[in-house]
Amino acid sequence: MAEIRLEGVTKRFGRTAAVEDLSLTIADGEFLVLLGPTGAGKTTALRLVAGLERPDAGRIAIGGRDVTAEPPAARDVTFVFQQYSLYPHLSVYDNLAFPLRSPTRRVPEAEIETTVRELARLLQIEDKLKNRATQLSGGQMQRVAIGRALVRRPSVYLMDEPLSSLDAKLRADLRLELKRIQVDLGATILYVTHDQIEAMTLATRIGVIDRGRLVQVGSPREIYEQPVDTYVAQRLGQPAINLLPADLLPANRLAAGTRTVGARTEHIRVTPADGQARGRVKWVEHLGDQSHLHIALDGHSLVALVDPDTALERDAAVDITLADPLCFDAAGRRIG
Amino acid sequence: MSPPIIDRAAASTPPALARHIRGLSDRAIAWIFIAPTIVLLLAINIFPLIWTIRLSFTNFRANRTNAPVRDVGIDNYVSILTDPEVWQPMQATAHFVIWTILIQTVLGFSLAWAIDRKFRGHGFWTTVILVPMMLSPAVVGNFWRFLFQPQIGLFNYGISAVTGVPPSSFEMLGSVALAPWAIVIVDTWMWTPYVILICLAGLRSIPDYIYEAAEVDRASPWRQFWTITLPMALPFIMLAVLFRGIENFKMFDMVNLLTSGGPGSTTEVASITLKREAFEKWRTGYSSAFAIILFVTVFGLANIYVKALNRVKSR
Ligand SMILES: Nc1ncnc2c1ncn2[C@@H]1O[C@H](COP(=O)(O)OP(=O)(O)O)[C@@H](O)[C@H]1O
Ligand SMILES: [Mg+2]
Repeated sequence: MAEIRLEGVTKRFGRTAAVEDLSLTIADGEFLVLLGPTGAGKTTALRLVAGLERPDAGRIAIGGRDVTAEPPAARDVTFVFQQYSLYPHLSVYDNLAFPLRSPTRRVPEAEIETTVRELARLLQIEDKLKNRATQLSGGQMQRVAIGRALVRRPSVYLMDEPLSSLDAKLRADLRLELKRIQVDLGATILYVTHDQIEAMTLATRIGVIDRGRLVQVGSPREIYEQPVDTYVAQRLGQPAINLLPADLLPANRLAAGTRTVGARTEHIRVTPADGQARGRVKWVEHLGDQSHLHIALDGHSLVALVDPDTALERDAAVDITLADPLCFDAAGRRIG
Repeated sequence: MSPPIIDRAAASTPPALARHIRGLSDRAIAWIFIAPTIVLLLAINIFPLIWTIRLSFTNFRANRTNAPVRDVGIDNYVSILTDPEVWQPMQATAHFVIWTILIQTVLGFSLAWAIDRKFRGHGFWTTVILVPMMLSPAVVGNFWRFLFQPQIGLFNYGISAVTGVPPSSFEMLGSVALAPWAIVIVDTWMWTPYVILICLAGLRSIPDYIYEAAEVDRASPWRQFWTITLPMALPFIMLAVLFRGIENFKMFDMVNLLTSGGPGSTTEVASITLKREAFEKWRTGYSSAFAIILFVTVFGLANIYVKALNRVKSR
């Protein structure tokens, strides 16, 4: 287990800067999740740490050792690729055993067998061990790929959207499982995703990345409650934060100079009103444990959360007030 | 403005024909398109094959069409399979086929691997390497005859420069010991590029991320080669072996031009024997039987081989 330190790392492909001036330290035993949309540079950042790409500028250290110029094999990392990178002509068992069979670290075959079987049980692919890697469903392949990363005990684990191709149920299971494994092992994990739920549930800290630049790093709570700007604010929260002009709605407290307010559902108070009210319910989305209220208001629309047994219906008139919303200035930076 | 070309094309189809075509089912139209090919295939492949089988049971001689044709049963087959002299062309063929395949596969795969590693100017060299394959076997046969000339041949001078033996001290095409190797050398020169091409396709089909995963898994280049490169390219290599094997089993033109089977009968591969029997001795019935035996041999071997290939591919 070791710490990862990135200092001013930049990687360009032609004229696009995939990663720009990235400085980030992932502490020993930390689960850091890089969160960003497709094309933000997440994969590139991971590949830089793994040594599959060489940075154009900057330094990378793992466990206090500068590895910037070292090949992947010397860095003692494992990598779960975004696409299932299995060895297609090998069985699932041999795929899982592959990293252990490195001639430089002779692991006894009996020990390999124990490790592989235990891991297969964990990932629910015990009955597939004899199959060829190509005879699996996408979800099973990805579990084997995850297993191949977990079978070793490297200094750091690197994972590139490992759960994105799994169905919802399995994703939820594996999310818990990954978190448990990380806590048990005290593993250092750098994990990349575009899924805010994965980021919120797995991360010790989240790094929000946008067009190659790290915008904010902090605990999930910090990122959620104190986003530095509207971009970060939009990345977390389900339903997404409502960004509205500052003077649209009455609020109990606004910082001086606020141009945009960010209203998450918990900042919004909805009260039924008479026909004169400005808000109109456009439709109600029933999700079982809660309901989303889509409201139209002076040409803007916003989403609020209400009890599942709400009496509000389509076209009902509502009054809306804001309680402690986030305040952003003209440039989108948060000022209160 | 004139109507779109497709409308004009439709309009210019004679109405009677158009109605006719429209009345046909898809199946019927499919048959109409396939029919010429099937007729051609029957006429130039299947019919001659059946005719050859029939002739192989007779004493027919194509230069004496008036002579009475007698049915001789399996006599032709018996006399071929019991004739010790028949093993000479069989051995010459086996020598030629086995060594060309072995050398071309090892050389072709190694060169493909080197090209795939992308050295400087690899695009240019890939093109240069493919040139021999584009030449006609007749041209290749003739100019290698020159290269092998003991007095003026470049090949002999090259060997002499490397080993120090005098260039006119050996005759590639005229010596019993060297002639079988001379035809192997020329075939290798000509057809290794073909093996390179197929192996390159195999190597390029292996996705980069598999190597990257292996790299992260700390597999040495040696282990990567044996556990990834070779197994994943194997179906392609086997395909190249199949093509070269079938091709060389029936090798005729190049060998005929280089040595005509000589000296003596050291390079007399099966197809040259066949030509002698059929068109020099005019033993049409006998040579038909010989052709059928060759055909069954190649067909049988190829079938066994394709089964093995499919097993490798489905792994
Ligand atoms: N090998 C490459 N060649 C050229 N451009 C690349 C390459 N890899 C990534 N990029 C570009 O870098 C940017 C970041 O890509 P990537 O790191 O894959 O993003 P993400 O994983 O967040 O979706 C994208 O604009 C992408 O087009
Ligand atoms: Mg990616």
